[in-house]
Amino acid sequence: MKLRADFVQLYRDVHSWVGVIAGLFLFVAFYAGSITMFEEPLQYWASSPVALPPPVSLEHTPDLLQKVLAAYPEARTDYTITVAPQDGQNARVTWGGSGGQAHRAPTPVMAAGLDGEGSLIVVPKTDSDAAHFIDVLHQQVGLPLPHTPAMVLMGLVALLYTIALVSGVIAYLPALFKTLFAVRLGQSVRKRWLDLHNLLGLFSLPFHLVMAVSSVVFAFHDQIFTVEHLLFARPVAARHGGVAGSFMVSAPTNAAPTLSPVLAPTDILALMARQAPGFVPETLNYRQLAHGRDVVRVFGHDARYPTRGPTGGFVVLNAHTGAVQSGEYMPGHQPVKFSILTSFFALHFGSYGGMPVRCGYVLLGLGGAFLFYTGNQLWIVSRRRRERQNGAVVETRGTKFLAALTSGCIIGCVAGLSAVFCAVPVLPSGGTYSAVSTVYYSVFCLFVVTAFCLPGQRGVRFLLAASGVVTACVPFMLCLHGAYLLRITAGAGVAVMACLLSLFLFVGAMKHTREL
Amino acid sequence: MSREVRKFSTDQWFFKVLASVFLGSLLVCGMMGVVGVVCHTDGNPRTASAQYLMWMAALVWSVVLSGCFLFRSGWQAWGVLALANSAAWGLFSLLRSVMA
Repeated sequence: MKLRADFVQLYRDVHSWVGVIAGLFLFVAFYAGSITMFEEPLQYWASSPVALPPPVSLEHTPDLLQKVLAAYPEARTDYTITVAPQDGQNARVTWGGSGGQAHRAPTPVMAAGLDGEGSLIVVPKTDSDAAHFIDVLHQQVGLPLPHTPAMVLMGLVALLYTIALVSGVIAYLPALFKTLFAVRLGQSVRKRWLDLHNLLGLFSLPFHLVMAVSSVVFAFHDQIFTVEHLLFARPVAARHGGVAGSFMVSAPTNAAPTLSPVLAPTDILALMARQAPGFVPETLNYRQLAHGRDVVRVFGHDARYPTRGPTGGFVVLNAHTGAVQSGEYMPGHQPVKFSILTSFFALHFGSYGGMPVRCGYVLLGLGGAFLFYTGNQLWIVSRRRRERQNGAVVETRGTKFLAALTSGCIIGCVAGLSAVFCAVPVLPSGGTYSAVSTVYYSVFCLFVVTAFCLPGQRGVRFLLAASGVVTACVPFMLCLHGAYLLRITAGAGVAVMACLLSLFLFVGAMKHTREL
Repeated sequence: MSREVRKFSTDQWFFKVLASVFLGSLLVCGMMGVVGVVCHTDGNPRTASAQYLMWMAALVWSVVLSGCFLFRSGWQAWGVLALANSAAWGLFSLLRSVMA
C-alpha cells in the first residue's frame, strides 16, 4: 500500500489528538458497556427478593388480577404480567413505577400475590439501581450531567471516535502488512504498546465502526427526528396517526370503547404460541390507551432472530380480539426494511445469537477499553521520548498532566465500578440511583486526585494495586453480607470476574514500568 | 525539495473542523431533505424511511468530519461546504415544489 507521506502524516497527527481527547471517555463507555451486556441478570441479582408468597399459576392469574383491580383501580391503565417469575425475584403482577425512565423521581413499583387463603397481598417492589446506573454511565460516557447535555457531549465523543477510527486506519495502512502479527515484546515499551494497539484495533475494527456510527445515531436521534419533522411534516389532516402517545397507531382502530373483557394471559400465550412459534414471551403489558383502546404489549425474545432492544422485541395486540396492531419490532416477523434496521441496533446491543455473542461482546468491549488505554499510554510515552530527545531533563507540565489524568480516570473508573459491586450487598434495597452514583463518583474522584498527588511510576503502581484491592473485595463482600447473592449464576459470575480482574490489576501493578 | 503538489497538513484545523461541524451538519440536513423528498417520507419516527434517513445522516456527517482535514485551508473548507449546502438546499426546495 503506497500512500503519500504527508497524507499519512496528516492522519497520524489527527489520530493521536482525536484519540487522546476521546480516549478517556471511550474507556468508561466500553468498560461500563461490557458490564451492561448482562444488565438484566445483574439487576435481578442486585435487587432484594420480593416479600410475596410463591406466584399464582398463570391459569389463576385472572383471579389475582380481579382482586388487584378492585383494590387498586388506578392499576387498570397499565399493569404487567410476568410469564415466568424467577423465584423470589419477580412477582406475577406489577404496576406503577416510573416506567424505567432515568433521572425521574422513582415511584415504587407495586407487586401483588395471593396467600394460601386466596387473599390479596401487595408490597412495594424497589429494584436495585446499580445495573441501571452502569447503563447510564455507559450511555453518558461517564459524565455526571443531566441526560440531554450528556447525550450531546456523548455524540461529540462518538464523532471523534469515528474520526479516530478513519484516521487510525489510514495512518496504519502503510505498515499493515509489514507488522501485522509482530508484537515486539522484547523491545521498547513504546513499540510494545504500539503493536498491541494496532493488533487490537485492526481485528476489532468492524465492531468499532458499528459502535461509532450507532452511537452517533443514539446521541442525535432526537435532534435528527426534529429536523425530519420540520423538513417533511405535512398538515395534520394528511398525516396518518399522531406522533405522541402510544407505540403504534398504524392499524385502523375501532374508537368506540368495547365492554368485552380483555383476553386472559393464557389466551394471549396460546395465541402467541400458535402465531409465532419460537418466540418466548417474557412479559405481558396491558395498557389502556386514549379513546378506550386496550392493548397488550407482549415483550419477549426469539433466539433465532436479532432483536431491536438490548434484550428483546415486542408485538402489540388488541387486548380484546388478539389482533396484531403492530409487529414492526417483533423478532422474525418484521418487514424486511425494519429487520435491516433492527440488525443495526442488534449489532450495537449484541442482542443476537444468545449467550455466546453476549460473552463475545464482553471480550470485545474489554478489548476496546484496553485499546483506548494503550492509545493513551502510547501518546504519553512517545511525547516523553520526544521531549527527552529534545534535551529536556524533566517532562513538561502537559505530559505530566495527561499522564496523571489517564491513570486517574482509567484506574478510577475500574475501581469505582468495583466499589459499586462491593456496595450492592450493603446498600438498602441494593442501592438507589443516588447512592450508587455517590459511591462510584467518590471512588473515581479519589483516584483522580491521588493520581495528581502521586505522579510517576510509583503513583500508577499504587493506584493499580489499590483498585486491585477494591476489586478483590467484591467476592469477600458477597460472601460476608449476602451469601444469597452468590446463589444465582449472575452472582457467581460477578465473583469470578472480580477475582480475574483483581489478579490482572495486581500483575499490572507489579509489572508497570514507564521507561521508554 | 519544493514541488508543485500541495502538502496535506493540520494547519488551520480549527476552522476546518468548525466548518464541518456547522456547515457539515447543515449539509447533512439538506441531504436528508433531498433523499427524504425523493422517497416520499413523512418524517414520522416510526416509519422505516425516517429511520434510514437518520442512519444516513450519522454516516455522512462522520465522513464529512473525517475528510475535512483534506481541505487546503479553512477558507476552502467553508467555501466548498457552503457551495455544497446551497446545492443541497436548492435541490431540496426545487424537488419539494415539484413533487408537492
